[in-house]
This record gives sequence, structure tokens and C-alpha cells, in this order.
Amino acid sequence: MTAALLGRRTFLAVTASVAGIATCWLTRTPFGLLAPVSVLHLYADDRAALLLRATWGVALAGATIAASLQANGTSSLNGMSELILYWATFFALALCIGEIIAAKASGSLGIDPVDAMRIVAIIPTDEVRTEQELCDRERELSQFVNLVPSLIWKLNPDGDPIFFNRRMIDYLGLTPGGADKPGMSRLAAIIEAVVHPDDAVSVAETLGRCVVTGDSLAMRYRLRRADGAYRWMSGHAEPMREQDGRIVQWYGLSHDIDDLLATQQALHERERLLWQLVETLPAMIDCAAPNGEPVYRSQRLRAFLGYELEELDGSGKSRLTGTLDAGVHPDDVAGVKEQYAHSLLTGEPYARRHRLRRFDGEYRWVETRAAPMLNPEGAIMQWNVICLDIDGEVRAQEELRLAQGRLARASQAASLAELSASIAHEVNQPLAAVVANSHACQRWLTADPPNMERASRIVERIIRDANGAADVVSRIRALFKQSVETGRSSTVLSNVIAEVCDLMAEEAMRRRARIDIDIETDVPSVALDRVQIQQVLSNLIRNGIEAIDRDSSDKAIRTRVRRTDGAVQIEISDSGPGVEFPDRIFQPFFTTKEHGMGMGLAICRSIVESHGGRLWVEKNEPRGATFIFTLPLDAKMAT
Amino acid sequence: MTADDHIVFIVDDDARIREALRELLESHDMQAMAFGSAGEFINAEKPDLPACLVLDIELPDINGLDLQGQIAESDHPPIVFITGHGDIPSSVRAIKHGALDFLTKPFSDKDVMTAIQAAIVQDRVKRSDRAEIALLRQRYLNLTPRERDVLPLVVSGLLNKQAAAELRISEVTLQIHRRNVMQKMAVFSLADLVRVAERLEIPIIHSRRPGGDQS
Repeated sequence: MTAALLGRRTFLAVTASVAGIATCWLTRTPFGLLAPVSVLHLYADDRAALLLRATWGVALAGATIAASLQANGTSSLNGMSELILYWATFFALALCIGEIIAAKASGSLGIDPVDAMRIVAIIPTDEVRTEQELCDRERELSQFVNLVPSLIWKLNPDGDPIFFNRRMIDYLGLTPGGADKPGMSRLAAIIEAVVHPDDAVSVAETLGRCVVTGDSLAMRYRLRRADGAYRWMSGHAEPMREQDGRIVQWYGLSHDIDDLLATQQALHERERLLWQLVETLPAMIDCAAPNGEPVYRSQRLRAFLGYELEELDGSGKSRLTGTLDAGVHPDDVAGVKEQYAHSLLTGEPYARRHRLRRFDGEYRWVETRAAPMLNPEGAIMQWNVICLDIDGEVRAQEELRLAQGRLARASQAASLAELSASIAHEVNQPLAAVVANSHACQRWLTADPPNMERASRIVERIIRDANGAADVVSRIRALFKQSVETGRSSTVLSNVIAEVCDLMAEEAMRRRARIDIDIETDVPSVALDRVQIQQVLSNLIRNGIEAIDRDSSDKAIRTRVRRTDGAVQIEISDSGPGVEFPDRIFQPFFTTKEHGMGMGLAICRSIVESHGGRLWVEKNEPRGATFIFTLPLDAKMAT
Repeated sequence: MTADDHIVFIVDDDARIREALRELLESHDMQAMAFGSAGEFINAEKPDLPACLVLDIELPDINGLDLQGQIAESDHPPIVFITGHGDIPSSVRAIKHGALDFLTKPFSDKDVMTAIQAAIVQDRVKRSDRAEIALLRQRYLNLTPRERDVLPLVVSGLLNKQAAAELRISEVTLQIHRRNVMQKMAVFSLADLVRVAERLEIPIIHSRRPGGDQS
């Protein structure tokens, strides 16, 4: 109790006394006695104790009695001294009674009336202060025990509960004596009443064992809350022993951990789900440290590789090097290492297709992608890697590409054979007549005597049939010219080249060649047959790729487009061995390739010439060949 | 070889080829008949002379190879095929079915004339062969039924006595029949008669071999 509070009380008592005496004296009635009653009320509030309200009640009663006695017994209040005496007696009596009742009700013992008088009289002696403090501490302790947000209980040495704090009573909704049941101990009754049926046996057993052995108790169990819901609790109890070691009682604490457990369980479930997801995704998953060292592999990846991550340790190499050397196809490993190192250095995502050795020794095509996982500061914490087995797709794609190539070549050859057969027939028919006639003519001329009449008649026929053959040829040319002209339109050359490069990209990549494109910005559109020019470009680029394939120092095909006087000039350069027979390669059926038909460049030249341009070959510096063709800017067609 | 003892049939849908071939043949003093289609050739009145058929494969009505198949059963002149574009399967098929040659246009004067002349020679041999057999067959038909019975027995090599026993006639009667057969078949020795019988494909029904069919 602080001095400030005592001062305040004194001040209130004095003020109220003066005001009460003044009222009594001035009004000649005992109503002034109500003033101390008001003070008592305030006093009770200050003590913040419910039981002091009782004091107030007694004081009120006392005041009423005193007032009525005074009104009946004496006719008036004559003197100030008499009035003060009355008031003081009454006040002391009221306070004394109230304080005694309050002290008894709060359970503190040993306060005698004298002490109470002292308290009431607000005499700040040491004893009173000690008593007061003791009382306050007890009250505080009681409040503490009751209000602490935990369930606190006390057991006797036999394990029967003897005390529950207020919070526990409220929490469990216990009624006083409600847990008592005839024929069973209080403990058994309370366990049956509030512990979850599944936990009741273990709680009873554990508690029983602790009571016997004296070990401290710690366990988890479910208790039924007042609203009927079972909630997980964490219960602890410690025995309190006498000096001789005898257990006097058990102090226990139960804490509601249901929300915590639910959260933990949800977390566990989530973690399990994530784990399952990672392990069962139809992909092989790998995690690596920021330096690329693998730290985790999913079951699928381990099964694919056929060894555990730990087996890589102790080989002298890092795990990363070990895994790449052991798994990646020897032809691919250099590229993989280079690109992965680049990604690790720069933090750029990694993606590459390569062959990976399966546990059974078969190399299968996989697509590996890796991306860094960053912390909020942007530093790489981990690399997450996914690896997909795309062997089937890659092989199917390869098959398809080969089939397409074969089909294209076959249809080209077939249509060429068909075309040439029908041309041959058309031309051979008149030629056969010409030949036969010529021989006949020769015989008539060499006969003796020469038959000039018949000879000249035959010569006329020869001329006629030879012209017929020429007609056939020009008819065929006209046919081609027509089909060419209808397909021609003004086209941006860079688009055509881009399309061709897209078409060739796969083949170039397979042969590890690069196609560089350099197009001048002011190249105008040209009237051309898109398909035919694409044919020319793809033919020349393919030739280039095949040329450098044999010699691998510089694997670039350079495609350059620029404007020249009145035409667009397209150059395709390679660094292969060059052209051995520059004047013959454009002839039909001339080839230097093992399986070539010798038609490619001949067709290219005829297409370019039909566009009014030229196609020729030059030496490339320092080595290789440059094929150059022009397309005139004006749309005049060649005839 | 004179112009009227043989003929060359030309079947080609191209008039220029027909004309030129005819001219070439005429310059070689050879006679030719030209037809524009297989049908025309089949239906035409053709002289009965040693001949050669120069046949184009590509014809408007039926294919030259099919025509070859159609006339295979009859006595047709040897065939020389000519074609604008000769493929191997066609040439194999033509030769397998008896074509004499297979020429692709334009063909040289020498090739075509050699083939045609070879064909005519072949046909001439075949024709004279056929004529001789026809004569023999005519003589055979002049034999009496009894003489036709005697002939196979005699050429089988049976002795007169055996043959007479076979036919249940006297040996003298058999000898008369035998003389008549020789006379009618215009042969002078038994050996000649055997050869004639062979060409006429008269079956040898008896054998003098021991254990042979004597019944």
C-alpha cells in the first residue's frame, strides 16, 4: 500500500468528516452522517476488493441506526463537541465492523479488532502496513492464480484434485461438487468427466504412476471444454515435498495447445503434400547449391540414374563434375558444362537438351532446365533443376525429319522422272522420224542412179519433223514459264531468308553449324516466286552446311543481302574446301556428292535465270566458296 | 531379196514414224504396210508372205504388248518393238513373249534394218517349215484307213511279220500296204518315212524292245 494512497484516504476521511459535521450542525439533522458512508464507498473502490462492499453495507446500516437513535434519543444537537463525539463513535464503529467482516471474508486470519481499529483509524504503523501488504499480496496471488491464462490445479498426495483455479473451472464448466460421483474417487470422476475417452486410460495410468513414483508429470491429452469441444492440452505437474521428501501435494498446469497443434499438423500435412508432389511429379527433380553442387534428388531421378547422391562423394571430384562426367553423353558433356557454368556465373536460367546415361547404360535424350531461387536480397539460395525424359519425342522428331527429307527427295525424283519421260517421248517421236528419214534420204541419194525426187521429198519431211521437235521444246518451256509467272509477287527478301533459316535451323544445329544473316537495311522488295527462291536459298545453304561439315574449323554460313545497281544481290558463303570445278557444277547431273543427283545447282540456276537474275560462284577468302545470285529490281521476266 | 517376196507391217499411231519407216524400207527396196492402230492391223487383208511386224508399244487402242499376247496363239510374223521410252520391265516382257528385238526411238537405220531382216529370215524359215508340214499332212490324209494303221507300226520298227500279226492280216497284204504308204508319202526309204512320221507327230505306239507293249 503506497503512502500516496494512504494520504488520499486521510484527505477523504478528513474532508468527509468536516463536511458531515458541518451538515449535521447546520441542518440540525443526522443526515451529515451519510458523508462518512460515502467515504467508505470510495475507500472500498480504492481497495478494489469486492468484500469491502460489505463494509459499505454495514456502514450504511450503522449510519441509519445511529441517525434514528440520535433522532429519537436527543431532541437536538447542542454542542459541537457532542456532535463530534457522536460522529467519531459512529464512524469508528462502522469502519471497524466493516473491516473485520472484510478481513474474515478474504480469508486472512489473525486480525484482531485493535488492528482493525488501527487500519480504520488509518494509523500508518509498521505492523498495520505489513498486515496490509500481506493481505494485498495474498489477494494478488489469488488474482494471479485465478487470472493467469493457464489452467492451474492442485492434487493431494493421492492424486485427488483439491484445487482448480477460476480459469480452469470456467474453462471446463465445472460446477462445485459436480465432478463428485459416488463410488469413485474424485480423480476418476473428473477424468471421466473432462478427459477425452481415448486419452482417459493413459491419463489415469500416467497420473497414477507419477503419484506412486513421485516423478514429475508431462503429457498431452484432450480435455473437453465447457462448450463440449475436446482440445489438446499440454499438462505438467510437479510434486511439492516436505523436507523429509514426503509429497505434500502436486501442483499442476495445463495449457491449451490445440491451436498450436492444429497449426503444426497443417504445416506437417502441407510439407508432406509438397514432398509427395516433388517425389511423384512425372519429372526428375534436382536441387543444387548456389555453386551447382547437387544437394537433393527426387526418387525418379535417383531411379533413372541408378545411384544415390552420396555415392558421388569421395571420388576426388565435386559432386557436380562427378555427376556430369558419369551421366552426360561424352559428345554432349563439354557443351553442358560450359552452359551450366555460364548459368551458375550469371544466374541466367539454364535449358539444354542432351543425352543422359540411364542406370542400364542406355543414353536417353533429356531436357534439363534450371532456374535460380533468390532470397529477398536477390542472392541465389538454390538452383532448382527439372529434367524430363524426351527420348521418344526426340527420336520421333528425328524420324519425322528423315522421313520428310526422304519423301521430298522421292517426290522430287519421281516428278522429275515422270517429267523427263514425257518430255523424252514428246521429243523422241519426231526425232525418230527425222533419223529414219535421214537414213532413207541418204540411201536414195547414194542409189545408182540417185533418186533425187524422193530424196527432196524426204528432206521436206525431215525439216517438218525437226521443227516439230523444236515446237515440243518451246511448248514445254512455255508451260514452265506460265507456271512460274503466276506464282510471282513482290516480296520482302528478309522474310524469305528468315523462313529458310527457320527451316534449316534444325539441320544446321544437328551439324553444329551457324547461319549468320546480314541484310542491308535499304533492300527493297523484289518480285519473286517465294517457293522457288526458298528452294534456291535452302539448296545453297544446305550445300554450305555440307561443305563445312567435312572441315570443322569455322562453322558459320554467312548469308548477306545487299543492293547493287538495279538488283538485289544475295551471297551465301561457307568456309569449306571450296569448289573444284566452278565451271561444271551448274551442269545437270554433275555432282561431287556421294548421293547427289547433280540437279540442285542446275535447278537453282534455272530458277534464278527465270527471275531474270544470275547465279555464279566465287572463291571465298580465306577459304571456301561464295555462291552469289542476283534478282533484278524491275519486274521484267526472262523469256 | 526382192520387193514382192516379203512384207513389213508397221503399227504406230504417229503418222510421221509410219511415213519415215516406210520410206526407209522402200529405200532398202522392201515392201511395207502401215497401220495406225492394233485394230486396223488385225482387221486388215494382209498378203501371205514372209513378214515382220514393227510394233509401237504406245498405241491408242491397246498396248503393243497386249497385242503381242492376243496374237501369240496364231501364226504371226516375228515382232520388232519400237518405243518412245523403253523401260526394263516392258522390254523383258516383250522378249520373254518371243519378240525378236526391242528398239527405243530414235533408232539407228542399222539396228532397225538388221532386226527387220532377221525377222523376215526367221519368218521365211518358219513359213517353209509350215508349208512342208502342210504337204506331208495332205499326203497323210490321202492314205486309206488301213494304210494309216500300218504306218505307225512300220515306223515303230516292227518286223513285217509282227506288224501283220498285230493287224491280223497276212504278211503279203501288209507288204502291199507298206509299199502304197511309201509311194503315197513320197519317201524312198524307211528312214525317210520315220522322219516324216516324226514331223507329223505320229505316235510310236509299238516298240520292238523286249518286254515292250505287244498286246
